[in-house]
Amino acid sequence: MRDVSFGQYYPSNSVVHRLDARAKLLLTIAFIVMVFLVDNLLAYIPVVVFILLVTLVSRVPVLKVLKSIKAIIFIVVLMSIINLFANAEGEVYWSWWRLSITSGGVLTAINLALRLIFLVMGSSLLTYTTTPMELTDGMESLMYPLKLIKVPTHDIAIIMSIALRFIPILMEEVDKIMMAQKARGACFDRGGVFKRAKALLPVLIPLFVSAFRRADELALALDARCYNATPNRTKYKQAKLGWGDLVATLITGVFITLVVAINNNFWGLY
Amino acid sequence: MEQIAQKDIVISIDNVSYDYRSNSDEFVARGVKGVSLSIERGDFCVLLGRNGSGKSTLAKLLNGFIVPDSGTVLVNGIDTKNDDRIYDIRSKVGMVFQNPDNQMVASIIEDDLAFGPENLGVPREEIEERITWALETVNMSEHRKRSPNKLSGGQKQRIAIASVLSMLPEILILDESTAMLDPKGRAEVMETAMRLNKDKGMTVILITHYMDEAVGADKVFVLSEGELIGQGTPREIFRDRELIKRAYLELPIASSISLELIEKGYDIPFALTDEELVEGICKLK
Ligand SMILES: Nc1ncnc2c1ncn2[C@@H]1O[C@H](COP(=O)(O)OP(=O)(O)OP(=O)(O)O)[C@@H](O)[C@H]1O
Ligand SMILES: [Mg+2]
Repeated sequence: MRDVSFGQYYPSNSVVHRLDARAKLLLTIAFIVMVFLVDNLLAYIPVVVFILLVTLVSRVPVLKVLKSIKAIIFIVVLMSIINLFANAEGEVYWSWWRLSITSGGVLTAINLALRLIFLVMGSSLLTYTTTPMELTDGMESLMYPLKLIKVPTHDIAIIMSIALRFIPILMEEVDKIMMAQKARGACFDRGGVFKRAKALLPVLIPLFVSAFRRADELALALDARCYNATPNRTKYKQAKLGWGDLVATLITGVFITLVVAINNNFWGLY
Repeated sequence: MEQIAQKDIVISIDNVSYDYRSNSDEFVARGVKGVSLSIERGDFCVLLGRNGSGKSTLAKLLNGFIVPDSGTVLVNGIDTKNDDRIYDIRSKVGMVFQNPDNQMVASIIEDDLAFGPENLGVPREEIEERITWALETVNMSEHRKRSPNKLSGGQKQRIAIASVLSMLPEILILDESTAMLDPKGRAEVMETAMRLNKDKGMTVILITHYMDEAVGADKVFVLSEGELIGQGTPREIFRDRELIKRAYLELPIASSISLELIEKGYDIPFALTDEELVEGICKLK
């Protein structure tokens, strides 16, 4: 079975879970921007501490957060290798033909790997602690200015919510189809790139057919449940900003300041 | 005072025909033809027919998804052609489909139940009450905050029913909602539908091609090639061998054995269920 836990909500009633989705969204964005601005390895220490603290407070198992990295490990390794050779500054450790590994290259590779990992950890903490509905409602609310210029923000929110719901279902389906094809002698992990791509075709076609069939029934189900019946739609879960959100913002703010200060050697520590 | 026993008709279909047409208005397939029937409030009705016989088409006509080419469909006295009241009809006629996965819009069960009432503009507090009630009704209260992904087929389908119940429908249509389930799941859904009918007085229209699901019905309708070829109590329908053959249906084992025995001259009553058959045979001398 494919691991579909990435991006899945982890039910709990922790302080982090109870924060307003909008606050969490904005804070996550701030966190990600910060991670991409940091280029000093020392500054990653408070980042790790912060992620650990949030994980502990949110009562999401640390292992689950670590597991979210698994989904992108391939990209991380690939990008790191490319960067390892792309940067040729600094002391040369090893060289062969035109390739060389330098201290600059190693630093860039580590930096990039850590950034990607922190990016995924941060955003998966968001999805572990926020239900898709809260998340999409939060996005809808943050998109309010767009609504004023007649962008159908509510439809966009529903589309996102449905997409989030169907990702695990379709993943499972891919597994089933692949299994069925394998049983008939198909092979997905041998041969060159083209051969492999070609082997995927008999997987994609049934997947699309089934996705369209699902879409058909889903459209009926939306209609049957009176989607678009009235412009005065109500909301069952009304998000309200509370004191907790203020405190969370302050804590995150202090933390970001700390990281930036260390990154820029504000105190002359090194 | 004399009171006239007035039958309360919730759905009346009068000489309805519908053909599927392509965008360029060419005939594609016959949906239903010349169907007339009426359904009384509080009845448990079963619509029987084999694949392609027009069952889903009839269901879509009841909900105003499609409007008849000719004839009229009245739901609670409202014509489904009346665009202004289409949502009155849709909220009164709850529809549950075959694949439970394809009917859920939210990843948390209570959010999915809230979707219908939210669309109808029901106030927050009332949505809360409706969710509690609907989950209790299908015996799934403890799953309220969970994801539907890890449930069994029967449980998922019960959630799909609850999601429709939260709109407080008067009529519940189950369009082959048991077809994808294992026997246990089928039994769960059947039991839920029966209970809704008996305890809450809900009008239920169960669409299926399994005749054994029609055993407990108040009324059975049989469709074939888009036409209504028979209606009556399960006992009347099950005994009509000619009708069942024409509809390409399969009689439950118990009924078919009892029919054979009767035809062979044994003195037993016609049986709908295994229990009835056993009882009949035991009484034989
Ligand atoms: N969207 C459509 N476009 C064209 N033809 C259709 C469409 N939907 C159904 N039909 C055709 O209309 C006829 C009746 O279909 P309908 O879906 O009502 O049957 P059904 O009794 O529900 O069958 P099933 O048991 O397969 O669900 C069939 O011949 C079918 O091929
Ligand atoms: Mg059908």
